[in-house]
Parts: sequence; structure tokens; C-alpha cells
Amino acid sequence: MPSLLDRRLVVVTGKGGTGKSTVSAAIALSAARRGKRVLVCEVVAKERVADFFGRPPSGTKIRELLPNLYSVHVRPREAMREYALMILKYETLYRLAFENAAARYFLAAAPSLAEIVMLGKVWWHATQETERGRPRWDLVVLDAPATGHGLTFLAVPETFLKLVVEGPLARDMRSMQALLADPERCSICVVTLPEEMPANEAIELDRALRQRQFPAGPLILNGAFESRFSPAELAAVTRGGPLLAAAGEAADNHESRAALSTHYEAVLRDAVPRQLLKVPFLFERSFGARAVEKVAHCLEAAL
Amino acid sequence: MKALAGRRIVCCVGSGGVGKTTTSAALALQAAMDGKRALVLTIDPARRLANSLGLRELGNEETRIAPSHFAEARLAPRGEMWAMMLDLKRTWDELVQRQARSPQQAEAILGNKLYQTLSTAMAGSLEYMAMEKVYEVYTSGRFDLIVLDTPPTSNALDFLHAADRILDVLDNNAMRIVLGPMLKAGKLGFRLLAAPSSLVLRTLARFTGSDFLRDLAAFMMAFEGMYEGFKERASRVKALLTSEQAGFVLVTSPNPLTTQETLFFHRALEQDGIRTAAVVVNRVQRDPRRHGGPDNVPALREALQLAQIKDQEGLAERLCETLTEQAVLADQDRREIERLRETLRGVPLFTVPRLRKDVHDLAGLWQIDVCLAGGE
Repeated sequence: MPSLLDRRLVVVTGKGGTGKSTVSAAIALSAARRGKRVLVCEVVAKERVADFFGRPPSGTKIRELLPNLYSVHVRPREAMREYALMILKYETLYRLAFENAAARYFLAAAPSLAEIVMLGKVWWHATQETERGRPRWDLVVLDAPATGHGLTFLAVPETFLKLVVEGPLARDMRSMQALLADPERCSICVVTLPEEMPANEAIELDRALRQRQFPAGPLILNGAFESRFSPAELAAVTRGGPLLAAAGEAADNHESRAALSTHYEAVLRDAVPRQLLKVPFLFERSFGARAVEKVAHCLEAAL
Repeated sequence: MKALAGRRIVCCVGSGGVGKTTTSAALALQAAMDGKRALVLTIDPARRLANSLGLRELGNEETRIAPSHFAEARLAPRGEMWAMMLDLKRTWDELVQRQARSPQQAEAILGNKLYQTLSTAMAGSLEYMAMEKVYEVYTSGRFDLIVLDTPPTSNALDFLHAADRILDVLDNNAMRIVLGPMLKAGKLGFRLLAAPSSLVLRTLARFTGSDFLRDLAAFMMAFEGMYEGFKERASRVKALLTSEQAGFVLVTSPNPLTTQETLFFHRALEQDGIRTAAVVVNRVQRDPRRHGGPDNVPALREALQLAQIKDQEGLAERLCETLTEQAVLADQDRREIERLRETLRGVPLFTVPRLRKDVHDLAGLWQIDVCLAGGE
């Protein structure tokens, strides 16, 4: 199997709040360091990756954050316009067809059209070529939305093709589906936390992704706690009297979180047949380039 | 919770993963303990919590939490606690059946290809149906209190506008005009074979093909005449939720990104003329330093010695590191709570500390109630 960084498209998905953006940034940073031209596509309500590197938001225009590392915020309205113009070629025709009340209705009614055009834009970047016929981007990292299961997003071509079978959108949906299903060109990573709901969701998401034969990338267990005190130490310190009350409580808190972490790690290893990468809980006061560096370091095994 | 006294409906609002379901269930439990018939209506509960509430496969049916569950948790409620899991598809189907003018019309809608996808896939559908279900249960008068665990939308600012958005899809004048010729053909009993005639339609058809437009026309036709009923009902639901009968509780965690969203929710509610009844901050790191005592390596070493604990393998260092880390978290949480308090001045704020275990039974929920009863 090629390494994660040899793919054309890496999708990072998982429940909201699990650290998808940080993981996306970390993967992109590692690739850029190896001399690859990387584009991070953020398909979320609020873009965050540029901020990690202390840069202003990229917005819907591609911007360079670090040498070789670019990001773009994919938003439905702009993506729709770009896409429609590619097919229609004429701005006036676009305005006539799309900037009227009926079309707004149409956009709401056509199944997941917003997701379709956003995924379409990502797909377009991932397969875009330069004039000399070389890939425009060595790697595109997709920070997928957290709305329920990222699966809904990835299954958009399938849902759409059930209802619409002809026209340019249907054609593009088919090649999108082909890219998303190709283990040589694409990998789908699942990010989770050592907590009940995120772990359960990761298990369900993994199962659904495998059922639909999406290429399985690593499972990233973010925010992991490692045990630090032996049971005997913990017992001694927590019974160590008032002078050790603070230290004892801290140690006890730590061990209870480590126990939960170990428990969910075992549950995940048991239920999810993917390479599991652990990223320790980071006690950073603010999430910036340093945190991204640390995460990138933990992911090294898959890169 | 005093802030919620007298309310018949409580909506717990917040971003995903902040413990909305647990908080909702805890509020219902509290009411049941106080002698009320309380129902918690949840969307997607953690499996173990669902199991322990007896919610295994009971879509859309109110289920009473068995007294034996209370006995196990050593709780003696004076009232009753009920729970229900929302089944999106069934709630839609029931609404269509109730509002349809004839069984034939209901059948035509339920069998429509677009209805089947759209009813469950459209953005806002879950929010709309959750509110619809609350209204239905409320009007049945079977419960003293209904606690709604709202869907985990990431940008749920327009929770209250979801119905309008969806209803606009069922009946949109502009689209009616564009689809006009197709609709007419349908009404006269012709099969909807007419090719799209207007330029707008032809352009749209270039993206989706004309089959989709035909399906859309059939879909709109199926709903013919039902729209007013839907709209009227939706506005009654909205009136109820914005009345004194209902209270909104913002549930959050002290994570900076989450508190930002929480404040955003608060402003969105305000814009609808709704005042936040209370804020619950879950998973707050308690500061171990409140006990005082040594917090640096030499002092910890000394304390270990005094307690006759062997300082092996850098135990003092490890303790110090652990203390420091948790102090960082506690400081961060404190700052975020302060920010919430400042912005939400006048709104009662409750904190629930990070518990040692996941909550998945009544005893765990009661533990949360005890924290909530501890006051602001």
C-alpha cells in the first residue's frame, strides 16, 4: 500500500470536536515538508487551518500558508457558482438560471446540492492538471464536515445518482465516486476521542465506510491519556493526608481519564480493523503551529 | 432547577458532544423526582444511556422508565420519567398522514421518490420534526414536562426557522411558475412528459437532467392543497416554543470553540425574542490547587517523605507534572466560564464537574442533578 502522502486525496472525517482540523493540518504539514505541493480544503462552517499557522483566513481563494502548503475554504454558494460557470461558460446565463427565486428553491430541493458542489470542487482540485499535464497538487487534504456522520458527505454522489442519472452533474458524480473508491489515489482517515459517543460513532462510521468500500486509512485516536501512576502509588498518595490532597486528586483525575482512554482504545482496536495511531492529549494553552507539529510527529508511522 | 419552574417544555440547545442528551435526561429525572410526569425526547442518545433507559428499539413511542431501574439506583421518584427516541422518517410520515386531505393524497406523497429522499435528507428536517413531535406530545396533555434534546447541528442558529425553510420547498411560488407547464400537464392527467420549455428550466435541466424536474413537479403536485395546513401548524409550534410555557437551556462545555458557539446560539435565540432560561456548563475541570499544599517538586518530595511514601521513579516529578497540567485546564475552564458569565449577564449558570466515569444510568444522571441543585 502506498503511504498516506502518496495519495492524491486524503479525507479526514469523524465526529465534531475530535480534532479533524488539527489532524488535517498535521498531515498537510508533513507532506509539505517532504516537498509536496499540498492543498487543504476545509468544508466546514468556519475555517481554522490558516489560523493554526498564524495566517489570516484564506477564504474561498487558495492561499499559501507555508512553503508548499496552501489552504482554501470551500463554501457552497461560491462552489456552485464556479461549477455552474464551468459548464455554462457565460456569466449572464448563470445569473439568469441561478440567481432567481426559483433557482434558490431548486438548490434547496435538489438532494444535497450544496454538498455536491463542495465535494465537486475538492474532486476538481484533486484531479486538476497543469498545462504540462502534471498534477496541479501532489496532495489534497479534505477536512470533511462533522454534520452527523461524515459518511453522508462522502455518500453524496451515490445518493444523487439514485435520483439524477443524466446531465453533466451526474457524469462528474460518477468520476467523483471513482476517485473516492480508489485505494491507490484516495484514503479516508477517521478521527476519534477516547470517549463513549465519539468512539461509538467512529465504530459505526468505519463499518459504513468499509461496507461501501471506501479505502480505509488509519484511525486516529486523539486526546489519549497514558497511565502515569501504579495502583499502589495512587492509593498511597490519595491517602497521603492534607499535604498531598491536591496532588492526590490530580493523580486520581489523571488515572480515571487514563482508564477511560485505555478502555476505549481497546474497544476501538477490537472493533475497527484499521491502523490505530494515538495522539496524546495536548495541554496547550492555545492551539497553534506547535500543537500541529506534535500531532504530525505522532502520525509519522502512517506517513 | 428554579430557573425552569412553571415551564412545560424545556429545549436543550448546544453544539455536538457537550452532553446535551445527558443534561436533558437529568432534567427530566429531576422533574420526575419532584413528582412530575416528565418525558425526555432524545434524538441520538449514546447506546448505553439508551439501553439503561430502556430505549433499545422504541422509535417514536413514549416509554416509561421502569421502577426497577430507579430501585437499582436507590431512587424513589414521586412522579414518572418517560423517554422517547425520535424517528425522523416516521414523524414525517405521521405528519403527512394527519395533514393529508384524503388517504389517496397521503399515499401519493409517501410513495413519491423525492419525498422519500427529501423528507430525511433536507437540511433542517430533523429540527422541524423534533419540534413537530414536541408539539404533538404537548397537545396530548399527557406530560407535565417535556425535555427536548435538540439535534446536534453544528450551526443550529435557525432551529426555529427550520420549518419555514422546509415548507418553502413544499410550496414555492417561483418554482411553481417555472414548473408551470409541467404542473398543468399533470393536472390534466397527462403524464409529465413535456420537455422543459423555459430557458431557466432548460438551463437547470442541463445540470440535473429533465427527469429530476419532472419528479420535482410530481412532488409539488402531490402536496397540492396541504401547504396551508402545514404552515398553520408550524406557526402554532413556533408560538408555543416562544411562549412562557417553554424555556431554552444552553448546554456547553468549557472548550473555547464550544463557548463561542454557545454565545452564538444565545444571540440567535435573542433575535427570535427568546431569553435563555439557563446555561449548563458540563465537564468542568475542578482545580486540584483549591486544596492548597505543595505544587513544586522539592515541596512534593518533602510531603511524600512526611507521608512515608517512597519517591521512586520520579514520583514527585510525575505528581508535579500532573498537577501543572490540570491547573492549566482548570484555568482555561475558569476563563471560559467567566466569559460566558460576563456575556450572559443575568442568566443563571450551572457547572457540572468532569465526572470520573461516563454517565449511562439513572445513578449517574442523579449525580448530575445533585451538581445542578448545588446552584449557580
